Amino acid sequence: MGKRSGSKRKDKNKVILPPLLPPDVDDDDVHISDEDLDFYGGKKNFAARFHQFDQKVIDRYVGRTAGDEAEVERLYEEREKRKASRRPQEEDGDLEVDPVDALPVKTLQGELVYNRAKKARHEENTGSLKSKAQENGADAKQGIKKDELKGKSKSKKGDDKVKNTQSQIEAPKGKLHSDVLEEVKEELSAEELFEKKKAQLAELGMAMLEDPEANIRSLNDMLSISNDKDQKVVKLGLMSLLAVFKDIIPSYRIRQLTEKELAVEVSKEVKKTRYYEYTLIRCYKAYLQKLISLEKQSHFYPVAVRCMCALLDTAPHFNFRESLLASVVKNLNSSDDVVRKMCCETIRSIFINEGKHRGEATIEAVRLIADHVKLNDCQLHPDSIEVFLSLRFDEDIREDETEEQKMKPKKNKRWQNQESPKQLPVSDKKKTRQELISKAREEVDADLRAVSFTLGPKERKSIQRETLSALFETYFRILKHTMSISNSRSKANIVSPGASHPLLAPCLEGLGKFSHLIDLDFMGELIACLKKLSGYSDRQDEIPHDNTLSVSERMQCCIVAFKVWRSNLEALNVDLQDFFVQLYNLILEYRPDRDRGEVLADALKTLLWEGKQQDMLRAAAFIKRLATFALSFGSAEAIAALVTLKHLLQKNSKCRNMLENDSGGGSLSCLVAKYNPEAKDPYLSGALASVLWELSLLEKHYDISVSSMASNILSMASLNPTQNPVSILNVNPLEAYRDLSIERELSKPPSKALSLNIKKKRRGKEFVALSPDMLQKADCSVDKDELEEKLQSHFAVLRGISENERLRAELNHTLSSINMYKEYKKQKKKNLKLKIVKKKLARV
Amino acid sequence: MAKKLGKKARKFARKNLQSAAKRNRKIRNQINYRRPRRGGSAAREDGDEDVPQRVDDATMATNDATDALINGLEFSEDDAEIDAGLSDSDGYLSEDPGCPYYSDSEDGDTVKDCIMQDGLDRQNDDINIDIKKQKKKLKKLLDKDPEFANFLEKWQTELKNYRSKEDSDEDGMDSMDDDDVSNDGNSPNTKMLTSKTISEWCLLVSKEPKSPALRNLLNAFRDACQYGVHSDSPSMQRFQSTRVFYQIITFVLTESDNIFRALLEISDDANKGQIMNLRNSKKWQTVDPLLKSYLRNSLELLSQLTDNKILAFVLTRLRASAVLFSAYPSTSSRLLKILFRLWASGNQSLSLSAFLMIREVASLLPDSLGLCLTKAYNTYLAGTKLVNDRNTKHIDFLMNCLVELYSLDVQKSCERVVTSMVQLNSILRQASKTREKEDLRKIDNWQYINCVNLWVRFICCNYKDYNLNPLFSQVLQVIRGVAHLFPGSRYLPLRLKLAQMLNELSACSQMFFPIPSLLFDCLEIREVSQKEETQKTKVNFSSMLKVPKNLLKSRYFQEECVLSAIQVLSAHFAQWSYHVSFPEIATIPLMLLKRLHEQTTIEVLHRPIKRLIDQVNENKEFIERKREVVSFSPNDKASVDSFLQEEKNSGNASFKRFYSSIAENHQAKGKMVKPIPKTQHYRQLLISKGVTPLCGCREKNYQVLM
Repeated sequence: MGKRSGSKRKDKNKVILPPLLPPDVDDDDVHISDEDLDFYGGKKNFAARFHQFDQKVIDRYVGRTAGDEAEVERLYEEREKRKASRRPQEEDGDLEVDPVDALPVKTLQGELVYNRAKKARHEENTGSLKSKAQENGADAKQGIKKDELKGKSKSKKGDDKVKNTQSQIEAPKGKLHSDVLEEVKEELSAEELFEKKKAQLAELGMAMLEDPEANIRSLNDMLSISNDKDQKVVKLGLMSLLAVFKDIIPSYRIRQLTEKELAVEVSKEVKKTRYYEYTLIRCYKAYLQKLISLEKQSHFYPVAVRCMCALLDTAPHFNFRESLLASVVKNLNSSDDVVRKMCCETIRSIFINEGKHRGEATIEAVRLIADHVKLNDCQLHPDSIEVFLSLRFDEDIREDETEEQKMKPKKNKRWQNQESPKQLPVSDKKKTRQELISKAREEVDADLRAVSFTLGPKERKSIQRETLSALFETYFRILKHTMSISNSRSKANIVSPGASHPLLAPCLEGLGKFSHLIDLDFMGELIACLKKLSGYSDRQDEIPHDNTLSVSERMQCCIVAFKVWRSNLEALNVDLQDFFVQLYNLILEYRPDRDRGEVLADALKTLLWEGKQQDMLRAAAFIKRLATFALSFGSAEAIAALVTLKHLLQKNSKCRNMLENDSGGGSLSCLVAKYNPEAKDPYLSGALASVLWELSLLEKHYDISVSSMASNILSMASLNPTQNPVSILNVNPLEAYRDLSIERELSKPPSKALSLNIKKKRRGKEFVALSPDMLQKADCSVDKDELEEKLQSHFAVLRGISENERLRAELNHTLSSINMYKEYKKQKKKNLKLKIVKKKLARV
Repeated sequence: MAKKLGKKARKFARKNLQSAAKRNRKIRNQINYRRPRRGGSAAREDGDEDVPQRVDDATMATNDATDALINGLEFSEDDAEIDAGLSDSDGYLSEDPGCPYYSDSEDGDTVKDCIMQDGLDRQNDDINIDIKKQKKKLKKLLDKDPEFANFLEKWQTELKNYRSKEDSDEDGMDSMDDDDVSNDGNSPNTKMLTSKTISEWCLLVSKEPKSPALRNLLNAFRDACQYGVHSDSPSMQRFQSTRVFYQIITFVLTESDNIFRALLEISDDANKGQIMNLRNSKKWQTVDPLLKSYLRNSLELLSQLTDNKILAFVLTRLRASAVLFSAYPSTSSRLLKILFRLWASGNQSLSLSAFLMIREVASLLPDSLGLCLTKAYNTYLAGTKLVNDRNTKHIDFLMNCLVELYSLDVQKSCERVVTSMVQLNSILRQASKTREKEDLRKIDNWQYINCVNLWVRFICCNYKDYNLNPLFSQVLQVIRGVAHLFPGSRYLPLRLKLAQMLNELSACSQMFFPIPSLLFDCLEIREVSQKEETQKTKVNFSSMLKVPKNLLKSRYFQEECVLSAIQVLSAHFAQWSYHVSFPEIATIPLMLLKRLHEQTTIEVLHRPIKRLIDQVNENKEFIERKREVVSFSPNDKASVDSFLQEEKNSGNASFKRFYSSIAENHQAKGKMVKPIPKTQHYRQLLISKGVTPLCGCREKNYQVLM
C-alpha cells in the first residue's frame, strides 16, 4: 500500500510543491544535541542563525562541487572535521557518496526526500541558489523530524531513545524497498513494531501539523495505521488523529459541491483547496465511522468517547456534528462514571459556548436528549437531565413573543386613531428614501452577520424558542411519568424508595430555574401536577406514606410551585395554600442524612422567608413548628429554622405575642384555644395560644450561633412591634444552613491555639471516674488463709519445677554414665589390641 | 567488659533523657528505637516512628492501612527509660553473724504433707524411680569393672570444664539478674532457713527495726523471691518447707513499709521531695541497700507470680511504699512496666490494684507521670482493638482508670489530650474529604470510637473544674462529623454510642444537645423479614459498631434498636424533665413513638414503648400544669432557670425514677450503660474509704502473723 500511495504522491508532489520551510540549520545541526534543538525551536532566532551560517554553508557547498575552495575556508573546514571526528564524516559521506538509499531519510515519504536530494544533485552543477535553499530545506526537514521525534517520545513517556532511532533508520529502508520491508517486518518483534508504528504516527502527525495542506493525504496513512491489530496502536492512532483534526478543522462548515459547481472550470488554487477539503471531509468521516464502530467494543469505549467529546467540544460547527452529538448524548446515560462526566462536560460546554455554533448544536442536543428520555421511559441517569441547568436563555425571549402579538393590534389602533393625521404629512418621497435606507442597512447587517458568524436577534430567538419548547417537553414528560407511576404504585400499595424517579430531582431543579420562561398556558396544569406530587390530598385522613416520592422531592415540588408562581409576577391566580400545608407536615418528616438538608432550607427560604406578609394564623403555626423542630434536629437545621422564624416574627408583629407568657392563653387565640402540636392543618393548630418556651432551651444549645440566635429572637419580646432587634446573622435560611453544616465545618482549617485555663484547682488525690464500690473491692480482696494456700501452692509449683529439673539432670547424668560404659569398653578393647600389638612388636 | 559498657550507655541515655527538653524527645526517640528493645512489641515499634510526623502535620494524608491506626493514635513513648533496668547488683546483703539460726525438726514432715496431686509431682516420682533403677545398673557396672570408675571420673571432670566455659560465654547475653548472683563478692548464705528462725527474726525486727535480723530477713526474702529462678543456685536449698516461704513473704510485705518508715523517720504522707532530701543524710546511707534490696526483690516477685490474687495482694502491700520508689528511677520505671502489663490483663481485681498502684506512683512521682500517661493511653488503645460481649466491662473500667490518671494533673495531661484530639480530627477530615473506604474504616473501628469516648469522659469529669471549652468543641465536632459520615441503619449502634456520649456531655455541661436527631432511624419502622431465622443470633449493640447485613431485617436487631433508643431518649428526657420546655422537647419524639407503637408488629416492643409514652405524657402534663400558673416569659432567664428547681433537687420525680429503672434493666441485661457520673458523691465516699484503707489491714495481718 505504501508503495502505491507513495508513487501517487510523487506525481502529486510534482504538481504542487509543498512550500519549503525556512532554511534554518546547517547539516551539522542534525547531530547537535537536544538543547540546540530546543533553542532553535524558538523561531525568533531563525533569521539570525540563517544569517550566521548561510554564507559558510553555501560556500562550502559550492566549493565542494566546484572543486576549488578558498584557503581560509579549507582551513576552517578541516578544523571542523577534526573537531567533530566521526559524525561529520558520515554526514559528508552521505552528501557526497552516491548511494541514495543510505541517506538517512526518516519519513514515510522517504521518496520525497530522495527526490529532492536527487534534484539537488542535478542542480548542483548549475549552482543555483535555489538548489541550495532546497538542500537546506531538506536538511531542515530532517532536523525538524528529529525535533518531532523528540517531542513525541517525550509525550509517550519513557520511550527508549535507542529504539526510536533504530526504528527510525529501519523505517525508511522498509519504505524504500518493499522486499526489505517484509524481511525486516518478520524480524521485528511485536514491541519493535509497536515502537515503529508509534514513530510513524508521530512523524505523520507532526508533518500534518506543520503543513496540513501539503500533507493532507497522510491522514489516510494515519487512518490505516489505526486499523492495526494491536490495540495500543489503535488507541495511539485515534488519539493522534484527534490531535490532528483538532488542529486542522477549519472554522467553517465544508459544503458539498453541487454538480454545477463541479462542472465549472476553476483555477488551480481553487482546485487545490477543493481537493484539500474533499480529502479532509472524507477522512473525517472515516474517522468518525471508526470511532462509532469502536465505541461498541468495551476496551476502546473510553478512548472513543473521549475522542468524540473532544471533537464535539472543539468543532461543534463542523460537518457530521449530528452523529457526534447523537453518540455523546447517548453516553450521558453511561454506567461508566468517567465517561458520563466527560459527556456531561462536553454537552455543558456546548450549551455555554453557543458562539461556536450559533446555537444550532444546542437545539439539536436538547432535542436528542428529549428523544432519549422519551425512548427510555424516563429511566436514565440524573446527569443526563442535569446538563440542562447549563442552558442559557435571553431574558426577553418569552415576553417579546407575547408582547409583539399584543402590541400589534394596539399599534394598529393607535395608528388608525391618533397617528393617522400625523402620518399623512410625510411625503412619499421621504418614505421611499427611508425605505431605501433601511433596506440598505438590512443588507449591510446581513453581510456583517454572515461574516461575523452571529445570528440576528430574530433567528436567535427562534432557535431559543425551539430549544425551550424541547426543554419543557422533556420536563413535562418526566413529571407526567412520575405521576403515572406514583399513581399506579399507590394503588398497588407498594412503598418504594425514591430512586424510582431518577430524573425527578434534576427536572424539578430545572423547572425552578427556568420557571420564568414557562408559558402561562401550562401554569395551571403544572401547579396542579406539582400539588399532586407534593403529596397533597383533599382527604386529610389519608396516610401520607402512600406517596412514593421522597421528602426531598416533595419539598422540591413545593419550591418549584412557588418559584413558578413568583417568577410570573404572581399574576397566576392559583391558591398555594395547599403547599404551605404540605410543608407544614413535611417538616416533621424530614430526616437528617437521609433527606437533603439544603432542600429543606431552600423550602423554608422560598416559601416562608421570601414571601410577603403571611396570614397570621399560618405564620404562628409555622413559628411554633419551627421552634419545636429546632429542638430535635442538628444545629444546621436548627439555625435555618430559627432564621426563618425570626423573619416571620419580624414580618408578623402580632405573632410576637407568642414570645410572652400571657397568663390566660393570649387574647389573640381564636377558634382553637389550646395548642395541638399534632394538627395537620396549620390553621387548626392553635399555635397562637402557645408560648415559645423552646427558645429558652435553645439558648442553652451547644452551638454558639444557635444559642445566640435564640436569645436574639427572645429579645424581640421587649421591643415594640415596629422595632426589630439588631440582627446578628443577616443571611437567608439556605446560607445559614450551609454555614453550619458539618461538611463546611470539616472543610475549614482546624482551629488551633488551644489554651486551657483552670477554674479551680482540685487536689490531685481525689477519684473522679471510678465508682467507690469498685475501689472498695480493691482492698480486703485477699483473706489470709487463701493467701497462705496460694502462696504455698506457688511455692510448691516452683519447688516441683526445680526438683524436676534437678532430677532430670541427675537422670541424664546417670544415663550418660551408663552409655559411657560402651565407650569405655571400646577403648579398653583398643587398648588391649594396642597392647597386644605393642607386645607383638616388642616380641618382634 | 562489653556488658559494663552497655550499662554505662544506658545510664547515660537515661540521664540525658531526663534532662532533655520535651520537644527534642521525639527526635531522639527515633534514634533510640534503632536500638533493639527487649519486651517492646515489634508491631508498636514501627508505628511509633511515624507518630511524630503525624503530630507535626495534622493535615498530612494518612494513608496507612487500618491496622496501623492504633499507631496513628498512639503517643510516642520514651521507652529508653524503662529499658534501663536494674543497674547495680546488690541483691545480697552481708549478714550479721550474731543472728541465730535454729534447726527445725518438724520441717521434714511438712514437706511431705503438702504434696500436690499434680502432674509434675507424679512425674518427679517416676523420674525418681527411674534414677534408682539406672543407678543400680551403674553400680553393677562399676562393681563389675572397677577400672571403669576411673574412666568415668575423668570424663566427668572434662565435662565440667567444658560446661563452665560455655556458661561464661553465655553470661554476656543473659539477663542481668544472672550476674547478680555470680558477681557477688561475698557468696550468699546457704544456711537452711527454718520456721523457727524466721519467727524469731520477725520478732526481733518488729521489736527493734534496726536490729541486724532485718538484714537476714531481707536476704531470706530475696531468696524467696528468686526461688525457682535459678534452679541450681544454692539459695534454693534454703527453703525446705512451704511455711517458711509463706512466712517470709507475708511478713516482709506487710511490715517492711512500717519498718522502713521508722528507720528513715518519715511520716505516712511523705512526698518525693522529702525522700530526695533524705538521700544525702547519713540515715539513708545505712538504709539504702536494705531498701533497694526490698524493692527490687518485690519486683522480682511480681514478675514471678502468676496467681491473680497473690499479685493483687503484693500490689496492695507495695502500694504503701510507692513513695520510696522515687529514690530509684530505674526501679520505678521497671515497676511501671510490670504494672501496666498487669493492668491490661483481664482480671478485674488485679487490674484495679495494679491501677491503684500506678496512680499512686504517678501522683507521688511527678517525673513518671508523663510516662504513665503515655503508657496508659497506649495500653488502652492496644487493649481496645477488639470489643466483644465479654470485655466491654473491662474496657469501660480501663477507660475510667485512664480518666482518673489523666485527671491527676489536668494541666499536664491536656497537652496529650489535645494532641490526640487533633489526630482524631485530622483522620475525620481526611475521611470526609475523600470519602474513601479506607479512610472511613479508620473511623469505623473501636479504637477510634473508644478514643473519642475516653476524651468525652475525661471532659465530663473535669468540665466543672477546668475551662475545657476548646477541647469540648473539638470533641463535639468529631462526634457530629462521625454521625454525619455514617448514615443509614447499619451504623445505628455507632450512632447510639455517639448519642450516649452526647448525653454524658450534656449532663456535665448543662448544655442542650438535640439527641433525637441521631435516633430517628431507630424509631422508624422497617420491614421485618418474614422468614423466621433458624439461628437466633442475639444482637448486642454494646459490642458492635456496624450491624451485619444479614441481621438488618431481623427481629432482634429491631428490638435492640428500639430498646436502645428508648434508653438513650429517656436519658435525654430525664435531664430536661424539669425544664419549662419539656413538652416541646418531647413533641416530635412522642409523635414518632406513637406511630411506632401503632405500626410495629413486634409484640415485645409494645410494652416498653407504651411505658415511655405514658411516662413522657405524664411528665409533660405535669410541666404544662406548672407553667400555666407561672407568670414569667421565656426571655426571663433567671426565672426559667429557677423553674421547678425545688422539685428537681428533691429528686424523686416519676420520670427520674422511670429512667433509673430503665438503666437498671439494661445493666441487668449486661449492657454497658453508664449512669451519669455524680462526681460529688464519689469524692465524699473516696475520702473516707479509698485513700487510706491500708492502716487497718496492716495491723490485723500483723497480729495474725504473730
